[in-house]
Amino acid sequence: MKKTKILIIEDDKWLADYYKMVLQKSGYKATVSLNAIEAMDLIDKNAPDAIILDVLLSGSTAFALMHELMSYEDTAKIPIILCTNLANEFDVDKLKPYGVRRILDKSTMMPDDLVASIRSVLM
Amino acid sequence: MGEITGEHKQFGETMLLGGLSSLAVASHELKSPLALIRQLALALESDLVPESEKKRLLRQISLTSEKALRLTGDLTKSVRLPEALFNLEPINPYQLCQDVIKEIDPLFRANERKVTLKSKRKHLLLVANRDLLRRVILNFSDNALNYADDKTDIEINIDTYNRGKTVRLGVRDYGPAVPCDVFAKLEDKLSKVSSSSIYARPQSSGLGLYIVSQFAEAMNGKIGVTRHRDGATFFIDLQSSRQLSLL
Repeated sequence: MKKTKILIIEDDKWLADYYKMVLQKSGYKATVSLNAIEAMDLIDKNAPDAIILDVLLSGSTAFALMHELMSYEDTAKIPIILCTNLANEFDVDKLKPYGVRRILDKSTMMPDDLVASIRSVLM
Repeated sequence: MGEITGEHKQFGETMLLGGLSSLAVASHELKSPLALIRQLALALESDLVPESEKKRLLRQISLTSEKALRLTGDLTKSVRLPEALFNLEPINPYQLCQDVIKEIDPLFRANERKVTLKSKRKHLLLVANRDLLRRVILNFSDNALNYADDKTDIEINIDTYNRGKTVRLGVRDYGPAVPCDVFAKLEDKLSKVSSSSIYARPQSSGLGLYIVSQFAEAMNGKIGVTRHRDGATFFIDLQSSRQLSLL
């Protein structure tokens, strides 16, 4: 059976590896990108089914990446789950035009929250 | 799907760290390592992690804790700067940098990176406070590790300028270039040393740079940045010691 592909865009390598471990344990095919530029290449190549995205990235902000994704019809459809320490600063309704479907707070989320969020955005 | 308007873009960009108070910025900077420690600890508690990986995660937790403690230590020193008297003495920069490398080596190894010390000539002593200078180089090195490209090493360079009157300690990373507009603002802010955010990379709060600029000022020195196509060098300039010249 074809595995659901998740792209993790997170510049903290240890945190990214942790997310990957959680998702792979739940049967997803997870790929990690440490920056937005590499992420765009991976999105073009692998067409992920969902994206886990950190807000503050090395070299480029998440918003620049989201603008880029929204400007193409195929990538605009990919649901985005923001995973950030700035969760309190954001309102998911205001970020819907950027493709954001869920916001997770890194400081309070449990391992299951990541998987539950992916399941909910892919329903 | 709605249209992305100029208003949406502005909303997105201003949600980043611009405009937050210093306390909020410090809180955010500490939140990142603490959130990571928490996630790794949760992973260890659950059955997610195979036995073979547990030691690695525990190492990551201890190294991340040390990094967070460095930040809290820097914050404390920074707050006490106005009242405290910091002893300035002649210091061998090569020896100090070697000590810093020894301290930071475990963190770099855990990230599969190396930090090397490069020095062109015999060293003059410089005048500084040992602890503050150590914190500056550690701060630059922590930042370089965050922003450098994967698999690249970090270099600490020692050089002299101004006919031997100035000793420069620089930390070079090989990563994304500091954007032109950010670099221009950064140069301007570093020359003024204000309490407003001095961010070097778009995702940085600038708290670390602000703290080290205060440390540098306390030692009659200054910090600066050299922009390269493939990264940056953050440096501190300090007065060389004239002590030996008196012999």
